[in-house]
Amino acid sequence: MKYLRIILLIGIFSSCDTFFEFSVYEASVTKENRNTTFKNLELLNNIQVSSQDFKFAFITDTHYFYNNLKIIIDDINKKEDILFVLVGGDITEQGVLKEYQLFYDIIKNLEKPYLTVIGNHDYKSNGGVIYKRMFGDYNYSFKVNNNKFILFDNTVWESNKEPDFDWLSMELNNSKMFNQIFVVAHMPPSTEQFNDDMKETYKSLLYENNVSLSIHGHTHNYFYEKNTVDYLTVPTIKKSTYCIVNVQNESYTIEMIAL
Amino acid sequence: MFIILIVFSTISFGQKSFLNDTKAKDSVWYLPDYAKIQFAGNIGLLSVGVGYEIIHRAWYSEFLYGYVPESVSEAEKIHLITIKNTFPICTKEMGTNFTLSPIVGFTASLETGNNSFLKVPEKYPKGYYITNAIHFTLFTGVSIHKKFPNSKMIKGADFYFELGTVETYLWYAITSKEVKLNDIFSTAIGVNLYF
Repeated sequence: MKYLRIILLIGIFSSCDTFFEFSVYEASVTKENRNTTFKNLELLNNIQVSSQDFKFAFITDTHYFYNNLKIIIDDINKKEDILFVLVGGDITEQGVLKEYQLFYDIIKNLEKPYLTVIGNHDYKSNGGVIYKRMFGDYNYSFKVNNNKFILFDNTVWESNKEPDFDWLSMELNNSKMFNQIFVVAHMPPSTEQFNDDMKETYKSLLYENNVSLSIHGHTHNYFYEKNTVDYLTVPTIKKSTYCIVNVQNESYTIEMIAL
Repeated sequence: MFIILIVFSTISFGQKSFLNDTKAKDSVWYLPDYAKIQFAGNIGLLSVGVGYEIIHRAWYSEFLYGYVPESVSEAEKIHLITIKNTFPICTKEMGTNFTLSPIVGFTASLETGNNSFLKVPEKYPKGYYITNAIHFTLFTGVSIHKKFPNSKMIKGADFYFELGTVETYLWYAITSKEVKLNDIFSTAIGVNLYF
């Protein structure tokens, strides 16, 4: 009987996903969960796009709203015309490994490539280190049907560094080559973390290089302003909302989804 | 894990002694009752410290230092100061010299390296964040107490196994059906040595 109990205990112990945990601040990302951005870009490259027009979804500020994350993923999976998904950052609350793993495990249900940008919460504790291992570079770009997508890390306080506007400027250098340019950054330029110089630098870079749309999260609220450069802020998934962007040849339309 | 359990069981079952342990209470109140070493459990790769039996067979409180080297954390070294409280639910005599107790308890840990902060830095507006340097764990498990009546060095030892989680992890599991219990629970093992 005693031995039976011990065997039962071993059974319970060994069903734990992470057998031993040493601290919430650990940053040890398992091998199969690394380089996610690169893997998703490969997936995206392998998709044959039949028409010039395509759609992508934008979800943001997923924090610990794991039920809503799953609901939205299921909804996106049903929509065959969505090519890929962009995630606008704050995929964790405290930037700890456990939250990164929970996000990763749930978004594995998505049947489309997804690409993330880091948010300010994701930098907390060792989050910056974990993000780099699990996903990859903080700043990167990719192309779809001659449209350029630039994912730009603009967190200031939590990352203890300034946004790399030189990199952004370089990426925008060849903007004339593309039909349209979309920039994704966690915080809108009106953020409390930007000083006036940063606001001006960001906005003028986008203006001078004919960016179609600048997409953000962070505020948890909806904001959309159409101008030479359009600015869109999508609400958090806490509100069961996300956005679908329909990209046409020289223009785009947005569709807000509330579940 | 299995080997350790076997070893522990062998020690427990293998030794038979007929002397009753009379636990000599220290006359000096602040002298600890036992020393402790634990592996894992979100309070360090290894944590060591001292413990007090505050209420006999009902409340054990410990002061621990935990450490995670860079090679394991894959970030900076992690230093943790922990207060751990263990409460045996009941104690079952399993033989002359050992008892078995189901246990529950909690820990509170402080860590201020690794980009965490006890006092929210001034760059953040009021109410932007709360501290992320303190974490709590909750655990349940089994402790086997073995007396060594013939030993001059060690009067007895507890060997324990625990399943535990961190406060926010538990909150996520309670509030979200996407977060399963096996996502958030992990194990710890440890020994208390009574001198």
